Amino acid sequence: MDTLLLIILGLVAGPVLGGLIAGLDRRVTAWFQSRQGPPIMQAFYDVAKLLGKEKMVVNQWQILCAWVYMIAAAISVALFFAQGDLLLIFFVQAVGAVFLVMGAMAAKSPYSQVGAQRELMQILAYEPVLILVFVGFYLVTGSFSIEAVWQLDQPLLAKMPLLYLALGYALTIKLRKSPFDFSTSHHGHQELVKGVLTEYSGPYLALVEIAHWYETVLVLGLCSLFWTTNPLWMAVLLIGTYMLEILVDNTMARMTWRWMLKRVWLLGMGMSVVNLIWLYAG
Amino acid sequence: MSNLLLLLILLPVAAALVCYFVRSSAVRKLTVVATGAILTLASLALLGQGAFEPVMVGSFLGISSDFLVTVLDFALLGVIFFYGLKHRNLLIQGFSLVQAALLVWFELFMIDHSAVPALMGDELSIIMVLIISIIGSLICIFAIPYMDEHEEHLHLKKSRQPRFFFFLVLFLGAMNGLVLANNIMWLYFFFEVTTLCSFMLIGHDATEVATKNSVRALWMNSLGGVAFVIGMMLVYAKTGSLSITDILAAGPQGALMVTGVGFLCLAGFTKAAQVPFQSWLLGAMVAPTPVSALLHSSTMVKAGVYVVLRFAPAYAGTLLSDGVAICGAFTFVACAALAIGQSNGKKILAYSTVSNLGLIICCAGINTPLAITAAVMLIIFHAISKSLLFLCVGTIEQSIGSRDIEDMRGLYAKYPRTALLTIIGILTMLLPPFGVLMGKWMAIEAASSNIWVIVMLAMGSALTVVYWARWGGSLMASRDADAPAERQPALISMPLMTLCASAVVLSFASPWIYNYMLAPMFKSAPFAMNLGVLSGSMGSYAVAPLFIALGLGVLFAAKAAAGFRKVKIAAPYVAGANTPDDMDGTYIGPMNGPVPFTAANMYLGELFAEGKLTPIFNALAIALIVLMLGGAL
Repeated sequence: MDTLLLIILGLVAGPVLGGLIAGLDRRVTAWFQSRQGPPIMQAFYDVAKLLGKEKMVVNQWQILCAWVYMIAAAISVALFFAQGDLLLIFFVQAVGAVFLVMGAMAAKSPYSQVGAQRELMQILAYEPVLILVFVGFYLVTGSFSIEAVWQLDQPLLAKMPLLYLALGYALTIKLRKSPFDFSTSHHGHQELVKGVLTEYSGPYLALVEIAHWYETVLVLGLCSLFWTTNPLWMAVLLIGTYMLEILVDNTMARMTWRWMLKRVWLLGMGMSVVNLIWLYAG
Repeated sequence: MSNLLLLLILLPVAAALVCYFVRSSAVRKLTVVATGAILTLASLALLGQGAFEPVMVGSFLGISSDFLVTVLDFALLGVIFFYGLKHRNLLIQGFSLVQAALLVWFELFMIDHSAVPALMGDELSIIMVLIISIIGSLICIFAIPYMDEHEEHLHLKKSRQPRFFFFLVLFLGAMNGLVLANNIMWLYFFFEVTTLCSFMLIGHDATEVATKNSVRALWMNSLGGVAFVIGMMLVYAKTGSLSITDILAAGPQGALMVTGVGFLCLAGFTKAAQVPFQSWLLGAMVAPTPVSALLHSSTMVKAGVYVVLRFAPAYAGTLLSDGVAICGAFTFVACAALAIGQSNGKKILAYSTVSNLGLIICCAGINTPLAITAAVMLIIFHAISKSLLFLCVGTIEQSIGSRDIEDMRGLYAKYPRTALLTIIGILTMLLPPFGVLMGKWMAIEAASSNIWVIVMLAMGSALTVVYWARWGGSLMASRDADAPAERQPALISMPLMTLCASAVVLSFASPWIYNYMLAPMFKSAPFAMNLGVLSGSMGSYAVAPLFIALGLGVLFAAKAAAGFRKVKIAAPYVAGANTPDDMDGTYIGPMNGPVPFTAANMYLGELFAEGKLTPIFNALAIALIVLMLGGAL
């Protein structure tokens, strides 16, 4: 029964929190750039407007793919709230990621094709790091289930500092922030147009947007697991991390996928492996 | 009981002989279909009877069956030596002579020729028999219309199908024998039969490249044969028993015996085409598609992983076990990386097979109940999905005349059924809630205690997503409202549909399969199953609930997508330069001329070039194998 309540909570809280975070993100970014920025609820207004638009697709598969992306993202968040198995949550999330790519590849548009290929490179970059982070969880708690994290009497961050930094790479990629925003861009008026999102429009773009909110909540949820002993410090950690993300986003230019692969595989994986060696030894 | 076992082994032999000697295509078709049906029923009957203790086979016409197997062993080596002479290949000649010499030594000076129960059937054997008999039969049935079409393309004067089906059907019998063998000499005999069958089938089309590749397959597998004989002799020298059950019950028995098991694993590596032996399996794709499907899914390579997995208790807890795990994990990541650089569909499938076999072998090396469960799950679901994908690529190749995934772009527009089956096949290889992913999930959790293995699995897992996702995505396209329906002959569509349905349905049933077939294999089972949820000490996987949730989601999404004709269809965005009448991404280019849409995947040539990586990977793999064998000492 509790699990069911948690699942419903996750399904509802995902888009609400995700949308708010997106709104706040825009406000803070505007503040960095000495602008006023849109209202905090703007993200919800945008999606509501998209949902009301005429349905238009290049290809029937996009409808399927947009829906599956949204559903898989929602299920992964539900599993997260139900204290499920971290590795399984991640694989369910991957269902959505793969369908987003496949939908983009279904359209005969050069921009969405390029975006899809780059999105795959992003998956290639963050997936091993995330798996190693979960292995770190296992080494500390003795289990892959989230439940075990809550039993700790010391924050995970103390044991897995480098893995948290490595997770930062994955977080930046998943949030589609600079310097890793090359599968899609915030602004359509660039060489990439909107990359992987180019051919999703109207209500289907709204689905993709909601799925992205779920994913945001999921990755931030992962970060929150690094400080489960005290809600205040958890909040500080999350806010600090997200502020850093926004700062990085605003101060970095978009890089190439080669740069990303090398950076994340060498530095991200390197830090993960070093941290794992500490854990194995400890 | 004994009769059922003999039926499973000898019926394919008899059917093979009928296929070869009765040169009527109708009789051949009937024989293949009937054999497939009987084998399926017999394997299900075996499942119904459950695991059984080793049984004696007795004698045929007064000759002891063990003696018969020995004689056939030498005859087989003679045949292989003959082909070594025919193709002037010193390696084959050498390896078969060495095997024969060692075998003579073994027979004359070492064995005490006491009676050993020849056959046995534990849960692993029964699962293998089911895979071989059902999936193998479906592939043989698919081959009937396929080979007619294949020979039509080749304009043969005289059909070579009798020879083809002889070896194809014989293969099933040999495989059943291999997985049911309890006497290690029998195991060795069937191991060699599969070597010969695969050689014959790879070289079937008798073109220059087919001959070349089949010869390579033969020498590599003969090397495996030599390793097998050496391993068998070392193990016998210590344990004094030919019975596999006894060898396994005894467990690791010191350096000499574990080294012997190491050689048996090496034999398994060659057969499972692990790096550095992957080239023979890649070369095998010159053969007609049913051969590839059979070699890659239910037979041959599965014989290799079966041997490694079978002897897992005999090296549990040794350094050899870690060595096996590392070699397997290395193959997993190396071949996943090589697959990224490929656009040839069959080659992608081949690398993916080798990569997954590496994962299975890695699990055998990790050697915990969880890892062994992962290995068996991967064997089952990889066999189903991979045979489906090979048969799909074969069908596509006969339709569009190419096996390049770039040529398969938008396949759904013309061949919706085949494209859909291929997409489902790809998804069942890649994503939850399907069985292969469940195996991978178990494998990663089981590997978490070994840092080198887990790092390689993490990388391999990410690489795998890339080559599957882009292939699946590029098949998708819209169909015109008046496009003609795709037609498939019944014998093509029946195996495809059956495999596709079983990939999905059995994935759903996997918790119950685990409970019924796998849990009894262990003293302490890795999971408890309740209402389709597998929960263990390390983590839990809600298979059935997840299946239902995602399944309903996909059904809903599919329904939404099916109503697409009510949705406005727009031309893709090409910066506003669309040609006015086209909806397919054509745009107005230089000189005001239309430029059609083209796209290609990123194959990351600078990072994942096959020619550059293969020698490096081979060298590393040889070093790891030396390390593995040294670890046994």
